[in-house]
Amino acid sequence: MSEENQVEEEPKPLVLEKLEANHADALLAQDESRGTVVVVIHKAQAYAVLEYLKTDPELAYTFLVDVTAVDNSQMESELMQFDYARFMVVYQLYSYQGQGRLRVKVPVHENDLSIPSVTGLWQGANWLERETYDMFGINFDGHPDLRRILMPDDFDGHPLRKDYPLRGRGERERFNFDKQNV
Amino acid sequence: MGLDFVGQGAAETDGNIITTTIDKVVNWGRKNSLWPMPFGTACCAIEMMATLASKFDLSRFGSEAIRFSPRQSDLLIVSGRISIKMMPVLKRIYDQMPDPKWVISMGACASCGGVFDTYTLIQGVDQFIPVDVYIPGCPPRPEDLIDAVLQVQQKITSGASPKGVESVYE
Ligand code: SF4
Repeated sequence: MSEENQVEEEPKPLVLEKLEANHADALLAQDESRGTVVVVIHKAQAYAVLEYLKTDPELAYTFLVDVTAVDNSQMESELMQFDYARFMVVYQLYSYQGQGRLRVKVPVHENDLSIPSVTGLWQGANWLERETYDMFGINFDGHPDLRRILMPDDFDGHPLRKDYPLRGRGERERFNFDKQNV
Repeated sequence: MGLDFVGQGAAETDGNIITTTIDKVVNWGRKNSLWPMPFGTACCAIEMMATLASKFDLSRFGSEAIRFSPRQSDLLIVSGRISIKMMPVLKRIYDQMPDPKWVISMGACASCGGVFDTYTLIQGVDQFIPVDVYIPGCPPRPEDLIDAVLQVQQKITSGASPKGVESVYE
């Protein structure tokens, strides 16, 4: 009976093996979530690691599914975990070479909200990074056109931050019809 | 047809001549050929499309000539959520429609923000443009939209001014 209950050890995903071999210093944490490998990467090496993940012929994460961010300011434990980094920028990758999905997270501190843009690696990052900038105020260095994409250009603040009130700060009652370029 | 006769010429002239007033004839024409400008921004627009299609067939009431240019329409149907970024566009479209013009606010979102009590959503378009008929529901059924068009027609027949153009009949 006892043998039946024993869970077979899964082989370590290739991406973790390769990251440990080549970018061990950048790897802050690794995890697994519903079949997706999750890695937390140091911001200083974020671009290099993402470039490696895309260009390595065995990994070939050529498809950037999504770029977004998480505001952890109301989750103390998360903040503590990565040295009080308030934001976590999340890259969702997909590899057609059999590696499947990969989630790359990069902690970003509130006092330095810039992170290198990956538009040079994936063209599709352009609008995704604009959205993340608009909603969270993360600055993507080297982005060709970092403007708001959802909110009006003259909007103040970044509404998906946890300290932004749900009903706004009165924007929906008072706004200037003339100022906006219709 | 909804055209009220004023005189009683019918008997004396074998029904070949009718007497009425200019206003009544004009209103009769307007009422039976409302040209809607659809402003569909969300799920309510799906019901609006169904209303216009063959199953519910808004053309039975003379309003099938949907125009995508506000300059050719006299009935604005706001169906869906209006965000603070969209409101100036809606206002501009309303302003471009020639008088007299009527506005239907279709669904909970257009009328009061619906469940979306958030920073980006206008809590009722009537804060910024005059609304003649509100339709409750999320989404309202096509019959509700037809009913609203009939209410606008009634309003036109009665000679009442549109909400936004109080002086047009004066
Ligand atoms: S009222 Fe309901 S159906 Fe209509 S736009 Fe709002 S959420 Fe969608």
